[in-house]
Amino acid sequence: MIDIYLYLMVSAVLFALGTYGLMTRRNIIRMLLSAEVIFNAALLAFLALSSVSSSLAAPGGALVIIAISLSAAEVGVIVSIAILMFRKKESLDVYELSEFKG
Amino acid sequence: MSVSELLGNPVALSFIAATFLTLVSAVAVIWHKSIVYAAFFLSMLGVGNAILMTLLGYPVIALFHLVVYVGAAVTFILFSVVMLREAPMVELKERYLALIALALLSILLLYVFSGYVGMTSSYYVSYKEITALLVEKYWFALIIAAIALVTTLIEAITLARKEVVS
Repeated sequence: MIDIYLYLMVSAVLFALGTYGLMTRRNIIRMLLSAEVIFNAALLAFLALSSVSSSLAAPGGALVIIAISLSAAEVGVIVSIAILMFRKKESLDVYELSEFKG
Repeated sequence: MSVSELLGNPVALSFIAATFLTLVSAVAVIWHKSIVYAAFFLSMLGVGNAILMTLLGYPVIALFHLVVYVGAAVTFILFSVVMLREAPMVELKERYLALIALALLSILLLYVFSGYVGMTSSYYVSYKEITALLVEKYWFALIIAAIALVTTLIEAITLARKEVVS
Protein backbone atom coordinates (compact mmCIF):
# COMPACT_ATOMS: atom_id res chain seq x y z
CA MET A 1 0.00 0.00 0.00
CA ILE A 2 1.08 3.56 -0.64
CA ASP A 3 1.90 5.75 2.33
CA ILE A 4 -0.76 8.42 3.01
CA TYR A 5 2.02 10.98 3.40
CA LEU A 6 2.86 10.64 -0.32
CA TYR A 7 -0.72 11.60 -1.26
CA LEU A 8 -0.53 14.52 1.15
CA MET A 9 2.78 15.59 -0.44
CA VAL A 10 1.16 15.66 -3.88
CA SER A 11 -1.72 17.64 -2.40
CA ALA A 12 0.67 20.14 -0.76
CA VAL A 13 2.54 20.75 -4.03
CA LEU A 14 -0.75 21.16 -5.91
CA PHE A 15 -1.98 23.62 -3.28
CA ALA A 16 1.22 25.68 -3.49
CA LEU A 17 1.11 25.72 -7.33
CA GLY A 18 -2.53 26.84 -7.28
CA THR A 19 -1.75 29.59 -4.79
CA TYR A 20 1.11 30.80 -7.01
CA GLY A 21 -1.25 30.95 -9.99
CA LEU A 22 -3.90 32.77 -7.98
CA MET A 23 -1.34 35.36 -6.84
CA THR A 24 0.29 36.03 -10.19
CA ARG A 25 -2.60 36.09 -12.65
CA ARG A 26 -4.92 38.98 -13.43
CA ASN A 27 -7.18 37.15 -15.86
CA ILE A 28 -10.35 36.06 -14.06
CA ILE A 29 -10.48 32.72 -15.94
CA ARG A 30 -6.80 32.02 -15.16
CA MET A 31 -7.55 32.74 -11.51
CA LEU A 32 -10.50 30.34 -11.67
CA LEU A 33 -8.25 27.63 -13.15
CA SER A 34 -5.73 28.18 -10.33
CA ALA A 35 -8.52 28.01 -7.75
CA GLU A 36 -9.60 24.71 -9.32
CA VAL A 37 -6.05 23.36 -8.85
CA ILE A 38 -6.35 24.30 -5.15
CA PHE A 39 -9.77 22.61 -5.03
CA ASN A 40 -8.27 19.39 -6.45
CA ALA A 41 -5.49 19.57 -3.84
CA ALA A 42 -8.08 19.97 -1.08
CA LEU A 43 -10.12 17.01 -2.35
CA LEU A 44 -7.07 14.79 -2.44
CA ALA A 45 -5.96 15.79 1.07
CA PHE A 46 -9.50 15.34 2.42
CA LEU A 47 -9.83 11.84 0.98
CA ALA A 48 -6.33 10.85 2.05
CA LEU A 49 -6.95 11.98 5.62
CA SER A 50 -10.42 10.41 5.82
CA SER A 51 -9.11 7.09 4.50
CA VAL A 52 -6.86 6.75 7.57
CA SER A 53 -9.76 5.73 9.79
CA SER A 54 -12.53 3.24 8.98
CA SER A 55 -15.15 5.37 10.74
CA LEU A 56 -14.25 8.45 8.67
CA ALA A 57 -13.80 6.80 5.26
CA ALA A 58 -17.45 6.75 4.14
CA PRO A 59 -18.51 10.16 5.59
CA GLY A 60 -15.40 11.73 4.00
CA GLY A 61 -16.40 10.29 0.64
CA ALA A 62 -19.98 11.54 0.97
CA LEU A 63 -18.81 15.06 1.81
CA VAL A 64 -16.42 15.04 -1.16
CA ILE A 65 -19.31 14.16 -3.49
CA ILE A 66 -21.24 17.19 -2.19
CA ALA A 67 -18.11 19.36 -2.54
CA ILE A 68 -17.64 18.30 -6.19
CA SER A 69 -21.29 19.17 -6.93
CA LEU A 70 -20.91 22.60 -5.33
CA SER A 71 -17.66 23.15 -7.25
CA ALA A 72 -19.52 22.60 -10.52
CA ALA A 73 -22.00 25.27 -9.40
CA GLU A 74 -19.15 27.66 -8.51
CA VAL A 75 -17.56 27.20 -11.95
CA GLY A 76 -20.87 28.12 -13.58
CA VAL A 77 -21.17 31.31 -11.52
CA ILE A 78 -17.61 32.52 -12.16
CA VAL A 79 -17.63 31.76 -15.88
CA SER A 80 -20.93 33.60 -16.32
CA ILE A 81 -19.51 36.59 -14.40
CA ALA A 82 -16.45 36.48 -16.70
CA ILE A 83 -18.65 36.43 -19.81
CA LEU A 84 -20.69 39.36 -18.49
CA MET A 85 -17.48 41.24 -17.62
CA PHE A 86 -16.03 40.61 -21.08
CA ARG A 87 -19.22 41.87 -22.67
CA LYS A 88 -19.24 45.07 -20.62
CA LYS A 89 -15.48 45.84 -20.48
CA GLU A 90 -13.96 43.85 -23.37
CA SER A 91 -11.41 42.61 -20.85
CA LEU A 92 -10.99 39.90 -18.21
CA ASP A 93 -8.52 41.89 -16.10
CA VAL A 94 -9.57 41.71 -12.44
CA TYR A 95 -7.97 45.12 -11.83
CA GLU A 96 -10.88 46.56 -13.79
CA LEU A 97 -13.40 44.67 -11.70
CA SER A 98 -13.51 47.47 -9.10
CA GLU A 99 -15.17 49.70 -11.71
CA PHE A 100 -17.75 47.01 -12.34
CA LYS A 101 -20.77 48.23 -10.40
CA GLY A 102 -24.51 47.85 -10.78
CA MET B 1 11.84 0.04 -2.67
CA SER B 2 14.14 -1.16 -5.49
CA VAL B 3 13.40 -0.70 -9.21
CA SER B 4 12.58 -4.40 -9.71
CA GLU B 5 10.20 -4.32 -6.72
CA LEU B 6 8.64 -1.14 -8.09
CA LEU B 7 8.11 -2.67 -11.55
CA GLY B 8 6.44 -5.67 -9.92
CA ASN B 9 4.05 -3.52 -7.94
CA PRO B 10 1.21 -2.19 -10.13
CA VAL B 11 -0.18 0.00 -7.34
CA ALA B 12 3.15 1.82 -6.91
CA LEU B 13 3.52 2.19 -10.68
CA SER B 14 -0.01 3.58 -11.00
CA PHE B 15 0.66 5.99 -8.14
CA ILE B 16 3.84 7.28 -9.80
CA ALA B 17 2.11 7.66 -13.19
CA ALA B 18 -0.91 9.44 -11.67
CA THR B 19 1.30 11.73 -9.58
CA PHE B 20 3.37 12.62 -12.64
CA LEU B 21 0.22 13.32 -14.69
CA THR B 22 -1.30 15.42 -11.89
CA LEU B 23 1.78 17.54 -11.18
CA VAL B 24 2.74 18.11 -14.83
CA SER B 25 -0.86 19.07 -15.62
CA ALA B 26 -0.94 21.47 -12.64
CA VAL B 27 2.27 23.15 -13.86
CA ALA B 28 0.78 23.41 -17.38
CA VAL B 29 -2.46 24.90 -16.00
CA ILE B 30 -0.51 27.66 -14.27
CA TRP B 31 2.20 28.38 -16.88
CA HIS B 32 0.81 27.46 -20.30
CA LYS B 33 0.53 30.49 -22.57
CA SER B 34 -2.75 29.45 -24.15
CA ILE B 35 -5.75 29.65 -21.82
CA VAL B 36 -7.53 26.97 -23.86
CA TYR B 37 -4.67 24.51 -23.32
CA ALA B 38 -4.59 25.50 -19.64
CA ALA B 39 -8.27 24.49 -19.37
CA PHE B 40 -7.49 21.23 -21.20
CA PHE B 41 -4.67 20.48 -18.73
CA LEU B 42 -7.09 21.13 -15.87
CA SER B 43 -9.15 18.22 -17.20
CA MET B 44 -5.97 16.11 -17.28
CA LEU B 45 -5.34 17.14 -13.68
CA GLY B 46 -8.84 15.91 -12.86
CA VAL B 47 -8.10 12.56 -14.51
CA GLY B 48 -4.84 12.20 -12.53
CA ASN B 49 -6.66 13.09 -9.34
CA ALA B 50 -9.36 10.51 -10.09
CA ILE B 51 -6.68 7.80 -10.44
CA LEU B 52 -5.21 8.84 -7.08
CA MET B 53 -8.71 8.69 -5.53
CA THR B 54 -9.14 5.15 -6.88
CA LEU B 55 -5.80 4.12 -5.38
CA LEU B 56 -6.96 5.55 -2.05
CA GLY B 57 -9.99 3.21 -2.11
CA TYR B 58 -12.65 5.57 -3.47
CA PRO B 59 -13.49 4.32 -7.01
CA VAL B 60 -17.07 5.63 -6.81
CA ILE B 61 -15.91 9.15 -6.01
CA ALA B 62 -13.27 8.94 -8.74
CA LEU B 63 -16.01 8.10 -11.23
CA PHE B 64 -18.19 10.94 -9.92
CA HIS B 65 -15.19 13.29 -10.18
CA LEU B 66 -14.62 12.26 -13.79
CA VAL B 67 -18.26 12.61 -14.79
CA VAL B 68 -19.26 15.78 -12.93
CA TYR B 69 -15.98 17.68 -12.58
CA VAL B 70 -13.98 16.74 -15.68
CA GLY B 71 -16.98 15.99 -17.86
CA ALA B 72 -19.12 18.99 -17.01
CA ALA B 73 -17.28 21.75 -15.13
CA VAL B 74 -13.94 21.72 -16.95
CA THR B 75 -15.56 21.21 -20.36
CA PHE B 76 -17.77 24.21 -19.57
CA ILE B 77 -14.66 26.33 -18.86
CA LEU B 78 -12.96 24.98 -22.01
CA PHE B 79 -15.84 26.00 -24.25
CA SER B 80 -16.26 29.38 -22.55
CA VAL B 81 -12.61 30.49 -22.71
CA VAL B 82 -12.50 30.10 -26.50
CA MET B 83 -14.40 33.38 -26.88
CA LEU B 84 -12.45 35.33 -24.25
CA ARG B 85 -9.13 37.19 -24.43
CA GLU B 86 -5.97 36.98 -22.28
CA ALA B 87 -5.10 39.63 -19.61
CA PRO B 88 -1.55 40.50 -18.43
CA MET B 89 0.16 38.98 -15.36
CA VAL B 90 0.97 40.93 -12.19
CA GLU B 91 4.24 42.90 -11.81
CA LEU B 92 7.56 41.00 -11.71
CA LYS B 93 8.19 41.87 -8.04
CA GLU B 94 4.86 40.36 -7.04
CA ARG B 95 5.67 37.24 -9.07
CA TYR B 96 8.85 36.75 -7.02
CA LEU B 97 6.81 37.15 -3.84
CA ALA B 98 4.39 34.51 -5.14
CA LEU B 99 7.33 32.14 -5.82
CA ILE B 100 8.49 32.59 -2.22
CA ALA B 101 4.90 31.90 -1.10
CA LEU B 102 4.90 28.72 -3.23
CA ALA B 103 8.08 27.44 -1.55
CA LEU B 104 6.98 28.40 1.96
CA LEU B 105 3.51 26.88 1.54
CA SER B 106 4.96 23.60 0.29
CA ILE B 107 7.36 23.40 3.23
CA LEU B 108 4.67 24.33 5.76
CA LEU B 109 2.16 21.79 4.43
CA LEU B 110 4.77 19.02 4.25
CA TYR B 111 5.65 19.78 7.88
CA VAL B 112 1.97 19.76 8.92
CA PHE B 113 1.36 16.45 7.13
CA SER B 114 4.55 14.83 8.46
CA GLY B 115 2.50 13.36 11.32
CA TYR B 116 0.95 10.94 8.84
CA VAL B 117 4.21 9.28 7.79
CA GLY B 118 3.84 5.49 7.82
CA MET B 119 0.03 5.42 7.72
CA THR B 120 -1.66 3.63 4.83
CA SER B 121 -5.18 3.47 3.47
CA SER B 122 -6.68 0.01 3.69
CA TYR B 123 -10.39 0.71 3.26
CA TYR B 124 -12.54 0.29 0.20
CA VAL B 125 -15.58 2.56 0.24
CA SER B 126 -18.44 0.98 -1.70
CA TYR B 127 -21.19 2.66 -3.68
CA LYS B 128 -23.84 1.33 -1.23
CA GLU B 129 -22.08 2.82 1.80
CA ILE B 130 -21.87 6.29 0.28
CA THR B 131 -25.41 6.40 -1.08
CA ALA B 132 -26.81 5.15 2.24
CA LEU B 133 -24.92 7.92 4.05
CA LEU B 134 -26.01 10.59 1.56
CA VAL B 135 -29.66 9.60 1.71
CA GLU B 136 -29.93 8.86 5.43
CA LYS B 137 -27.49 11.20 7.15
CA TYR B 138 -26.53 13.98 4.73
CA TRP B 139 -29.87 14.33 2.92
CA PHE B 140 -30.16 18.02 3.77
CA ALA B 141 -26.71 18.82 2.32
CA LEU B 142 -27.70 16.83 -0.78
CA ILE B 143 -30.85 18.95 -1.20
CA ILE B 144 -28.84 22.17 -0.73
CA ALA B 145 -26.30 21.00 -3.35
CA ALA B 146 -29.12 20.19 -5.78
CA ILE B 147 -30.75 23.61 -5.20
CA ALA B 148 -27.35 25.34 -5.64
CA LEU B 149 -26.82 23.57 -8.95
CA VAL B 150 -30.29 24.51 -10.21
CA THR B 151 -29.99 28.15 -9.13
CA THR B 152 -26.54 28.31 -10.74
CA LEU B 153 -28.00 27.07 -13.99
CA ILE B 154 -30.71 29.77 -13.89
CA GLU B 155 -28.19 32.43 -12.86
CA ALA B 156 -25.72 31.44 -15.60
CA ILE B 157 -28.44 31.62 -18.25
CA THR B 158 -29.64 35.00 -16.94
CA LEU B 159 -26.13 36.50 -16.80
CA ALA B 160 -24.91 35.16 -20.11
CA ARG B 161 -28.12 36.02 -22.00
CA LYS B 162 -27.77 38.94 -24.36
CA GLU B 163 -29.52 42.07 -23.15
CA VAL B 164 -32.52 43.01 -25.21
CA VAL B 165 -32.26 46.66 -26.22
CA SER B 166 -35.64 48.25 -25.97
